[in-house]
Amino acid sequence: MLRMIQHAGRWFFHRADALFNQVFGDRLNPLYYLGAITYWLLWVVVATGLYLYIFFRTGIEEAYSSVEYLTVQQWWLGGVMRSVHRYASDALVLAMLLHLTRHFVFDNYRSFRWFSWITGVMLIWLTYASGINGYMLPWDKLAQFVVIATAEWFDWLPAFGGTLIRNFIAEGAVNDRLWSLLSFIHIGLPLALLAVLWIHTQRVAGAHTVPPWPIAIGTTVALIALALVRPVTSQGGPADLSAAITTIDLDWFYLPAYALLYRWSPAELWWLIGGGTLLFLAAPWLPPRRRSTAGFHVLVHPDNRIIPVREGEHLLEAALREGMPVPFECRNGGCGMCKGTLLYGSVDYGLYQDSALPAEERATGKLLLCCATPLTDLEIEYVPTGMPGNVPVRVFTARVAKMARLAHDVMQLTLKVQGDQVPSFYAGQYINIFLPDGEKRSFSFATAPHQRDHIELQIRLVPGGRFTTRVFNEMKEGDTLQFEGPLGSFFLREDSSKPIIFVAGATGFAPVKSMVEHAFYTGMKRRMYLYWGARRLHDLYLADLPRQWAREHDNFVFVPVLSEPAPEDRWGGRTGLVHQAILADFPDLSEHQIYACGSVAMVETAHPAFVAHGMSEHDCFSDAFKLAPQLRAKSAEMVRLGGAP
Amino acid sequence: MNAPARYFVQGLLYAAFVAAVGYFSSAPAYQHLKPDQALVRLSFSHGAQRKQPCRERTPEELAKLAPNMRAPTVCPRERAAVTVELEMDGKLLYRIIAPPSGLAKDGASTVYRRLAVEAGRHDFRARLSDNARGEFNYSAQRTVEVATGRVLLIDFNAAQGGFVFR
Ligand code: HEM
Ligand code: FES
Repeated sequence: MLRMIQHAGRWFFHRADALFNQVFGDRLNPLYYLGAITYWLLWVVVATGLYLYIFFRTGIEEAYSSVEYLTVQQWWLGGVMRSVHRYASDALVLAMLLHLTRHFVFDNYRSFRWFSWITGVMLIWLTYASGINGYMLPWDKLAQFVVIATAEWFDWLPAFGGTLIRNFIAEGAVNDRLWSLLSFIHIGLPLALLAVLWIHTQRVAGAHTVPPWPIAIGTTVALIALALVRPVTSQGGPADLSAAITTIDLDWFYLPAYALLYRWSPAELWWLIGGGTLLFLAAPWLPPRRRSTAGFHVLVHPDNRIIPVREGEHLLEAALREGMPVPFECRNGGCGMCKGTLLYGSVDYGLYQDSALPAEERATGKLLLCCATPLTDLEIEYVPTGMPGNVPVRVFTARVAKMARLAHDVMQLTLKVQGDQVPSFYAGQYINIFLPDGEKRSFSFATAPHQRDHIELQIRLVPGGRFTTRVFNEMKEGDTLQFEGPLGSFFLREDSSKPIIFVAGATGFAPVKSMVEHAFYTGMKRRMYLYWGARRLHDLYLADLPRQWAREHDNFVFVPVLSEPAPEDRWGGRTGLVHQAILADFPDLSEHQIYACGSVAMVETAHPAFVAHGMSEHDCFSDAFKLAPQLRAKSAEMVRLGGAP
Repeated sequence: MNAPARYFVQGLLYAAFVAAVGYFSSAPAYQHLKPDQALVRLSFSHGAQRKQPCRERTPEELAKLAPNMRAPTVCPRERAAVTVELEMDGKLLYRIIAPPSGLAKDGASTVYRRLAVEAGRHDFRARLSDNARGEFNYSAQRTVEVATGRVLLIDFNAAQGGFVFR
């Protein structure tokens, strides 16, 4: 049943979108900006309301006469303001209901969107409370009806016990204080509305809270035109409690419940509204549940980052949430701005306009990020609006200042960046070095970010590897090379207090060195354990350094682990696979953050074992593991596994 | 669609939107009371008599109390329910038994009722009982001309001698 409604609703919006695209163009289609339009209307209401407030007088006679003054004597401004105030409030309800319906029929209200949905329900209440309260102020016949109906309705609540209506029973029962109270509420409720609205859009990545200017202006002008054609007036003269309300022109956006109140009883109306509210509040968790898209990960180019996708999340949202500069406009499959390329995996393409993604483009692997949800782990590419990440990626030229062999197959390169401009980066990030033919090789910063005068890289000889053999055989001090960076989401997360376990395999030590030195530099007090795994003793090419750290810092522990120690190593330390050593020391990993960097093979075996021992997916980007086969096929030699906060 | 046509249709759509807003903002009219009707509102808040009268404490009872607590009379706080009957032209229009409010049932009983009646001249009789025996100890009778769309308020105030018609 619900599915059918949603299906019909989707069909309807899809058609309407297409039609509106023809008329407004796909970038300025108001149907793509319903939330933002609602927001805009609220600002219109606030602005006009402030003007009315200047002239409004609180008092039995003054309330009515001051509004009459605005409407009649000052019709050219005050009257227009009053009319726009009213009509914008009405339009707000209409836009809000459309906005809500749209999110409902497209099923964009479950899982993580519950937050916007629940705050949305609060917005409905606040909107109605503000609007109904507003109708009490001019103290005309409609105000009389609304005040009395409200009292009659609320009196059913045990808290009032039927005594509220006594305040409005006859002339003389009402006094001037009432308007002080009512207008006080009429400031307070919209303020609360704005506050909740701020929260409402808080977690929506890249939310449009202002519509494009042509839409904002179009709506406002249309409302002003309406105000001039059909000015709002007070109804039936001042309120008179000795006269009954017979026929009244009701605002059906705000007051339909008040008509129902007299068909039904107050109790029935309370049950309807209370029950409806509860149903709305529960909706994100009610059936029909859809196929879960949770837990997939996406390798995103050109950022070269691996990001998780939450249940029900479109790729665009996931990327925006991670701060990636993906271009977008309509977010509803209308404009084609968010087009990307699917390199690996399969997606649900979602519902979009054919004009935004023609079938032949889709056949060549294009997809709309704002509509697509993953069906497997993915690899995608997009064209960024700016540079990825918080730190801009740039291309740098550097001179090889020093080369030192740390082991028979590990070279330490010290780079001086041209213009002494070491890029700002996060400890753990990496750079891509360009090869003459434009191919790239990734290496982690081995220096900490505060080290401003040079960059250190630790490069292991890959037999047959084009770049690394060149480093070992041809490169000499004074050579120049080009690189881009900084890159990667594998960096030390400083907003957690959990102890950290670093797992390094071979030259996976380089980013760990950067992170640990950064931690010492910033005075981080979290406990840190470094497990460095290698085959033979000479593979631990810088083992003296972590030993020294351990001597100098109480919160640092170093555990070297050799998998195949030779007799001449005379190894008395831990042996075996590095992750087994960790599991032996930490049977429960749930209270630790783990950063692992090493070969694909190491990371692939370690991950399931860590998860089995309680490692939370939040404390580790497990995506590197799932995508490992993919990565292996590519040139990546190191897999980085970073902790999220 | 060429550009002028698009702007024209945009204008039409905006106009349709505000037309819907403008229309439902004050139409269709809602009929709250039929044209030939008037409204009787029965409303009052009245504290009924105590269920039990005050009584003197016996000397033995007094002796048991602490010296500063020796009030000679005790008054149970619970009030009786208020029963009201309103007749119009000899027919019972409304009847209610309103219990006292408050946890200790010692508060006032509150009654509110809106009754739409045919406009014209009517003969009203109201009776009220505020004692535990349920005997109607207040009553009033009025013949009132209620014009269409007017309100006849029937209040009750014991200090003013009972029912008040306004
Ligand atoms: C004063 C009324 C409201 C205003 C001004 C407003 C505004 C917005 C805005 C600007 C957005 C972000 C962009 C968009 O999706 O349009 C949004 C998102 C959303 N709103 Fe509202 N809204 C209002 C009422 C409601 C109501 C009543 C509901 C539902 C009960 C609701 C549910 C949602 C949902 C589910 C989202 C999407 C969150 C996401 O995509 O992660 N809103 N709203
Ligand atoms: S943002 Fe417009 S189609 Fe995706």
